[in-house]
Amino acid sequence: MIRLLFGLLFIVFLNPAIASAQNLMVDLAQDSIDITAGFDGAQLSLFGVKEKDGQVAVVIRGPKKDMVVHKKNAVMGAWMNSESVRYKDVPEFYDFALSDDEDNILNAELRQKLGIGFDALKFVHDNARLSTNAQKEYRQALIRNRQAEKLFPVVPKDIVFLNNNFFKTEFFMPSNVPVGDYVIETFLINDMTVIDKHETRVKVAQIGFSAGVYNFAHSQSLAYAIIIILIAVGAGWLSNAVRRNNK
Amino acid sequence: MQVHLPIAEISISAELIFLVSAFVGFLSGIFGVGGGFLTTPFLIFIGISPGVAVGTQASQLVASSVSGAIGHWRRNNVDIRMGLVMLIGGVLGSFVGIVIFKLLQMIGQIDFVISILYVFLLGSIGFMMLMETFLSKVFKKRSFSGEFNTLKVSPFMHSLPYKMRFPRSKLFISALVPASIGFVGGILTSIMGIGGGFLIVPAMIYILGMSTLLVAGTSLFQIIFTTASAVIMHAVFNNTVDMVLGVILISGSVIGAQIGISVARFVTPAQARLIMAAMVLLVAFKLAFDLFLEPSELFSTVVIDD
Repeated sequence: MIRLLFGLLFIVFLNPAIASAQNLMVDLAQDSIDITAGFDGAQLSLFGVKEKDGQVAVVIRGPKKDMVVHKKNAVMGAWMNSESVRYKDVPEFYDFALSDDEDNILNAELRQKLGIGFDALKFVHDNARLSTNAQKEYRQALIRNRQAEKLFPVVPKDIVFLNNNFFKTEFFMPSNVPVGDYVIETFLINDMTVIDKHETRVKVAQIGFSAGVYNFAHSQSLAYAIIIILIAVGAGWLSNAVRRNNK
Repeated sequence: MQVHLPIAEISISAELIFLVSAFVGFLSGIFGVGGGFLTTPFLIFIGISPGVAVGTQASQLVASSVSGAIGHWRRNNVDIRMGLVMLIGGVLGSFVGIVIFKLLQMIGQIDFVISILYVFLLGSIGFMMLMETFLSKVFKKRSFSGEFNTLKVSPFMHSLPYKMRFPRSKLFISALVPASIGFVGGILTSIMGIGGGFLIVPAMIYILGMSTLLVAGTSLFQIIFTTASAVIMHAVFNNTVDMVLGVILISGSVIGAQIGISVARFVTPAQARLIMAAMVLLVAFKLAFDLFLEPSELFSTVVIDD
């Protein structure tokens, strides 16, 4: 973190020649989010320098997956899933940050183009017969469900300026953050036009013990199951042995 | 301490899971039950997916049934022949259970079916236990269960093929009957994350007509294998057994059971049955309420892994 700050300060103040080559430079405090045994969510910090006037917008998207939204109805008094809609290629994680109020930076057209805000997210579903109202209902439910899991934002994050050019923002990755490659796009926007943009990636993955268990469970699932059973049998035997000794 | 579960892919409070499984272990120490019917709904309640909850809970059931079976084994209260016939059915049943589980998951009904099965099974068993407690008080009888003990002499039971001799239980019955009891137990283990003792034990007494002395040991003996095969099937076909969660559950329940067993001597069987009935009914009512009251969120989103 310190190294990165110094690096950026160096670029900003001491090396105008390099800085002027680009209007926007961005880097992450880390290029991976490591899910370890003690993982309880993590902050992903992004630093950047802009060389021209303008506002900044940052979008982060997780890997895309199909998602099924179920709706419960009362069937003979019991609430059960009875209708569903399947959405294609929904980002498992989505968040964005803005350096000013949304309306000061973006107009509707730009929002659509850059995919910033829920209005700009096209969730494509498979049900051609869905009424407009139902479409809206399911779409809102999808967003609400993902928000409840902290994987979609409720409000845009802030971008903080440390001086005129140097900015910083943070995204929170909760403990249930899906693994995979995340794409982070940063836009420098002036007067509703994109002056410059930058794309970077961050990898979210289990590492160390967690990764070992996960990989073992998936590649050698039979051996994995047998080890768990042996642990269980051992614990059961131990429990019985202790009991006998206490008698 | 927050611990990230590598298979469930969420972080949970290790203390919470440990304390709950120790409490359930404590109850199982007192009442001699596996406790799956309490732990599995709890795990689902705190946000662990039904697959991981059921698959992992099965590993805790292996531990508690081994611990219980050893005692009966040493006292020679296990009908091994009967147990083997039952576990063939049990292993088959756990496989069929996994298939049903996967199908239900695909059509988005697994939570509903688990809940409804719990409400139905726990509700009726809790009710029966309660009735038995009150009736035995009213009629000054130890139990009215003897009246059901007629199935084993029914013509239907005698007409079934594959008759086998079970010298230890002094029975000459069709192997299909104990195998089917094991089979049903296996299905329940795979779908509900329970050992199924509360169903298997009465079935062995009333349908097979085994002596109560042998029933406890023999059922535990076969539950070891049924739950172990459920662990294997869930791990191999669904990848839904979480080793970290399993170790926490197992250690909690083992420690809790030790305390429970030392408390058990202060509890009479009638009291134990009444407390058990109350607990079983409580879980059944809680699940029934969740099922029949309009939920605050009607929609749920499931990510499809390919």
